[in-house]
Amino acid sequence: MWSRLSVLFILLLASLSVRGQDCTISLSGYIYDAGTEEPLEYANVLVEELQTGAVTDSTGYFLIEDICPGHIHISFSHIGCEAQRLHLDIDKDTTIVYTLDHTDHILHEVSITDRKSPTATQNFESISTQYISDNAADNLSNLIASMPGVSSLKNGSGIAKPIVQGLYGNRLTILNNGVVQAGQQWGNDHSPEIDPLVANKISVIKGVNAISYMNGQMGAIVLVEPSKIDQDPHTHGKLQYFYESNGRSNGVNAQIQKYGSHLAWKLNGTFKKSGDRSTPDYYLNNTGGQETNIALQLEKKLSDKHNAQLYISSFNADLGVLRGSHIGNLTDLEIAIGRDVPFFTEDKFSYEIDAPKQKVNHHLIKWSSQYFISDSKWLNIDVSGQANLRKEFDVRRSGRSDIPALSLLQYMGVADIQYNAEYDNDLYLKTGLQASITDNTNNPETGILPLIPDYISYNGGVYTTLAKKTKTYTAEAGLRYDMVAQDVVTISNTLPREILRYNDVYHNYSASIGYKYILADMINLSANTAYALRSPAINERFSFGLHQGVGGIEEGDIDIISEQSWKTTLSISNNAKSPIYIEALAYFHNIDDYIFLQPQEEFILTIRGAFPYFKYEQTDANIYGLDVYTRYNVTKNIEASLSYSYIKGNDETNGTSLVFIPSNNLTANLSYAMVKPFSVLGKPIENLEISLDNQYVFEQNDITESQDFLLPPDAYNLIGISISGDVQLSSTRLRLVIAADNIMNIKYRDYLNRQRYFADDLGRSVNAGISVRF
Amino acid sequence: MNKHSLLALLSILLLLSSCGKDDPIIPNEEELITTLNLTLTPDGSGNSILLSFQDLDGDGGVAPIIRTSALQANTSYNATVEFLNEQESPAEDITLEVVEEGDEHQVFYSSSIPGVTVMYSDEDDMGNPVGISTVIETGDAGSGQLTITLRHEPSKTADGVSDGDITNAGGETDIEVTFDIDVE
Repeated sequence: MWSRLSVLFILLLASLSVRGQDCTISLSGYIYDAGTEEPLEYANVLVEELQTGAVTDSTGYFLIEDICPGHIHISFSHIGCEAQRLHLDIDKDTTIVYTLDHTDHILHEVSITDRKSPTATQNFESISTQYISDNAADNLSNLIASMPGVSSLKNGSGIAKPIVQGLYGNRLTILNNGVVQAGQQWGNDHSPEIDPLVANKISVIKGVNAISYMNGQMGAIVLVEPSKIDQDPHTHGKLQYFYESNGRSNGVNAQIQKYGSHLAWKLNGTFKKSGDRSTPDYYLNNTGGQETNIALQLEKKLSDKHNAQLYISSFNADLGVLRGSHIGNLTDLEIAIGRDVPFFTEDKFSYEIDAPKQKVNHHLIKWSSQYFISDSKWLNIDVSGQANLRKEFDVRRSGRSDIPALSLLQYMGVADIQYNAEYDNDLYLKTGLQASITDNTNNPETGILPLIPDYISYNGGVYTTLAKKTKTYTAEAGLRYDMVAQDVVTISNTLPREILRYNDVYHNYSASIGYKYILADMINLSANTAYALRSPAINERFSFGLHQGVGGIEEGDIDIISEQSWKTTLSISNNAKSPIYIEALAYFHNIDDYIFLQPQEEFILTIRGAFPYFKYEQTDANIYGLDVYTRYNVTKNIEASLSYSYIKGNDETNGTSLVFIPSNNLTANLSYAMVKPFSVLGKPIENLEISLDNQYVFEQNDITESQDFLLPPDAYNLIGISISGDVQLSSTRLRLVIAADNIMNIKYRDYLNRQRYFADDLGRSVNAGISVRF
Repeated sequence: MNKHSLLALLSILLLLSSCGKDDPIIPNEEELITTLNLTLTPDGSGNSILLSFQDLDGDGGVAPIIRTSALQANTSYNATVEFLNEQESPAEDITLEVVEEGDEHQVFYSSSIPGVTVMYSDEDDMGNPVGISTVIETGDAGSGQLTITLRHEPSKTADGVSDGDITNAGGETDIEVTFDIDVE
């Protein structure tokens, strides 16, 4: 499942000078695995126009003869990869070398010159187009939670935000196509507003300080990267339909693209709708959702030295929240917690979404350009604008449920200029300037004092990284400075209501060094360490009021100071070519003045009764953990893998554990793949794969009764299965996936799902997907 | 050309940064309930008694003011509850909203005072109690607490709910206040 595929390079190796007469051209070549550089046997190569193809031999070689001159489309596929298509204008015998990045789940190292990617000593992991597409019904957070060390903080199943090595919310940066995702990331019940189906790759940096990213101080970064437009002058696309039985969810995704001679374009649209999901025993009423997303990508080569891209996307979602999880006060919460079946549970399925619900719109426009000063020096300039509109609806009196209880509009503009240079002595320099402005406004339509005040925040940053890369080692160092100026306007919480203004300026510094060593071409070792300051976010200093999504009164502290973070990671892995592959990543993160919501001993008495009271406080904290992954290729067809994540978070000052630290978990996978295609009714079936997953989630034992309303739930074990395969039909290609989650239909609750106070988690779901590539 | 676009960009940012954030519009907190008054009028002779809970600035801020007084022993009172938003001037009577949506609301009275009973004396369109008007009877002298709870969207047909037992009611709590009461 952990496969990804991308074309890294295509080389026209040789061209013999046999003049192309009528249909006598031959096409031959070699296919290699990009990760291991091993030849790929049993890769399928097909010339779509001719419907003739070949299968590579043990040296990765293939030969197709009798091709007519002109445009051809060649389809490449291999087990565990999404099929790729290459366009060629062929007029003579041609040999190509094609690389399929088909390596399963390893800690990657990437080209240091690729600006969108992390630098070379960083540890990061990715999921591929195929994985995203096969799990099309999932949201961003649940997709990446399949990686070791990554979890999902949820409110039901539709609302989820990622946790990477114990960091989430304000400490986790999400980059959508290179742009820092704006919006209300502070809320534990706020999902990132990104459609994962626009991405062909989603990566998680599990390392230290990523100097070149804005707000990346704490080192946990999620990168969502849309694919580049294929260099094919014809119109091509992909159409996909997906279904999930739990929630009776239906979705479609359409992608269409063309690399025109003047302009390359790609259009991507998604529509998803789901209804009430269910546990093994009852419906979770009002947990449906609906999403309509569209994205347009344009690319143009302005000159030999100048490329430009424009990216526009719109994300629109309505998300229901379990009706029985909406509580009035502490008494309500205590009653709701004790119940077997939540209040308001009805024995009938519905697609309706009523209050409580969230309505979120997020729009992005980004212009980027690359300007080559010389072959080894270039500039990247990006300008982007985002608008984020979030409305949250509670159950209110007198028809006011249609009036949002929280209504926020946020604009963010970012300008970014980066200079890159490669020097002869394997030295790479990257330096840049970033400026951003965030404008956040409450809509007074709510009739409720806002939880988060209105503000404008200005951010200016400057950074430099220097790296040296040789065959045996990579070393890098970076420095960054940010200035954050905040202009905050709050409304007093006492009478008479007054307007209070606060102007604050923060200076954040960060520095990092990293070293990676390849021992005897067999073992990779890497070490990274970084120091950083993170200035407090608006909510940490100014929030005041009832946060319905958390069920408590939250109060910021104006005197909160910046967090000081020191993180070190160590990783070791052996050569990915080996039949037994092992990698381990250990991290230790010390955060002084760690900002967190501390439950207070007293309750706040209101006319609605007592409410739990949470205050932002600071403590000295540390988070450490270990992610291990092993893979064993039993035979050519059978692969077994095991991954384990261990994490612990401590509040050193108070001698307690940090909340929302994920449970440890152990995941095993066994898969059987038919590497050779076979025929059914004369149609070739390729890449047939059966995969069995077993996930064991340990109980979170570190939380005490004083830290939470309810102790974390018991450990649980989930089993899943999936079957997938491709069929090539003339120039279209069909892919089918059938999968089942929680096939034993077990009853369980997860610590990181707020819904656990009120209801069980999801029961069995049978999912199916079909995609057509044309 | 990149120099120009960069300059243009920086000047836009500079321009934007030269103006501060506008004053926010203070929302009209029309849904707010600041005050609960329970007026008890004794059957026959005696003065009526007022119990009140008042929190003018809403959640948090200044703590609420709670006024209570003693009830007479072995007395039957006609009690009426009233909800107000006193941030408005004149005060807005939220009780009217509750009565209008009587089938979606119910007031519950739970007492730990020995001998005190509370009986509903009103009903909604469906014939279920709302709890705005009640009859409260005291027994012998004693003391304890009376908790008044207004629930939005309770399950009025659930077991015991129409008799005033909140256990199976569900819904959200719009009001929950507790008075310490002596019966003399």
